[in-house]
Amino acid sequence: MKQELSGQLSDKLAKESITGEILNLEPLTGGASKEIWKFEIKSKDSISKFILRRGSGIEGPLAIKTSDEALIQKNVRELGACVPEIVAVSRVDEPLGDAYVMKFVEGESIARKILRDDEYRAALANLAFECGESIAKIHQADITDFSFLPKKTVMEQIDELYQTYVSFDQPSPVFEYTYHWLQGQDFGDLNDTLVHGDFRLGNIIVNSEGLQSIIDWELAHIGNPLQDLGWICGNSWRFGKINKVVGGFGDLEDLLRGYNSISEYQVTENNVKAWQVFGTFRWGVICLIQASAHLTGAVNSVEKAAIGRRVSETELDIVDLLFLGGK
Amino acid sequence: MIFDKPNTLELLDAVKHFLDTKIKDEVPPHLAFKLRIVENVLSIVIREIETGNDLSQEVISGLKKLVESETANIEELAHLIRDRKIDLENPELKNLLVQLSKNKIAVDNPRYSTYKKLIEST
Repeated sequence: MKQELSGQLSDKLAKESITGEILNLEPLTGGASKEIWKFEIKSKDSISKFILRRGSGIEGPLAIKTSDEALIQKNVRELGACVPEIVAVSRVDEPLGDAYVMKFVEGESIARKILRDDEYRAALANLAFECGESIAKIHQADITDFSFLPKKTVMEQIDELYQTYVSFDQPSPVFEYTYHWLQGQDFGDLNDTLVHGDFRLGNIIVNSEGLQSIIDWELAHIGNPLQDLGWICGNSWRFGKINKVVGGFGDLEDLLRGYNSISEYQVTENNVKAWQVFGTFRWGVICLIQASAHLTGAVNSVEKAAIGRRVSETELDIVDLLFLGGK
Repeated sequence: MIFDKPNTLELLDAVKHFLDTKIKDEVPPHLAFKLRIVENVLSIVIREIETGNDLSQEVISGLKKLVESETANIEELAHLIRDRKIDLENPELKNLLVQLSKNKIAVDNPRYSTYKKLIEST
């Protein structure tokens, strides 16, 4: 398989005038639904590192095509947003499949390492601010460039998530309550923007200097930009550091200070709670979707099976936010 | 039960021990992450066998009182909320939803931060 992949990569990159011997092609631990490979290209006088990201062919219902992820990153990179440089895009009918190649970004994306290792300690102090700044730049992209992206209002998303949950026929009293609660909330009447959709610790690359890249664009869509701010504040992405609301490393105040330094619309802390509950519910339904791929027999995956038992984490976070004063 | 020893728990424990002591250091990095998931899955099964019945009964007995029905179950509660046939502002309902969520996580992931926080505060 590796040899075949190497050949397909080589052919694809040659079309982009990137030639040389492909070395050290190795799979990396990635998301549950995409393959990620690291490799090097040795040319006459240098070795360059790259990442291949490729769809498995079985996408979740909320995910966009991998090649479309690449188009978005190319676009927002021109706005000065912190994303990797894309060097090749492969459409689903090409030999490489639905995929893209980007330049390797030095740094770490594994959340627990970023939160734990001394190397990143200094960078963490300013990371919430940098995240706010960067996502605000992304929200300034011209959405007429993204006609291929689904456009979703929050109420449409809530309904879509709820109907998805209902379709799995595993009735949850907490999710029923959450659906009712969400329908009564004010999510802010903001203009539509590009929404990353999965902006959180785990999908950012950090080094000792700070934020290097925002990656994993498969849940991108057009909608309310506050969604990205609520999502990064969900407890699901604090990796045990529950008192640091932003990704387990920062304070909401700093995230918003960074955001408001770029954005015309000034976001307040009050805007975020409903989006946190929404985000937690959304992650719960995504867990159900992932688990269903195993339960229906579409794939046999211990990862996907296990994620079914993470739904209860989101239920507990929601009752904590709604009834117990959780932040 | 007609089966010999080891019982289910003892068998699972042996598998977990084997993975932890003999396999963990042998697997390549991209599988180490999956191995951890496998071990977590085994731990869930072990906890559910050990405590699942008591944790379920505790919630079900609260539910029976709340809805005044001896046959009430979780699915029925979900439908009562869906159809607004229960007062959603009732503090007893909110308490039950908290209890339900805590008892589920006690099996699924008792190291989860929110669970630890709530346990420590009570």
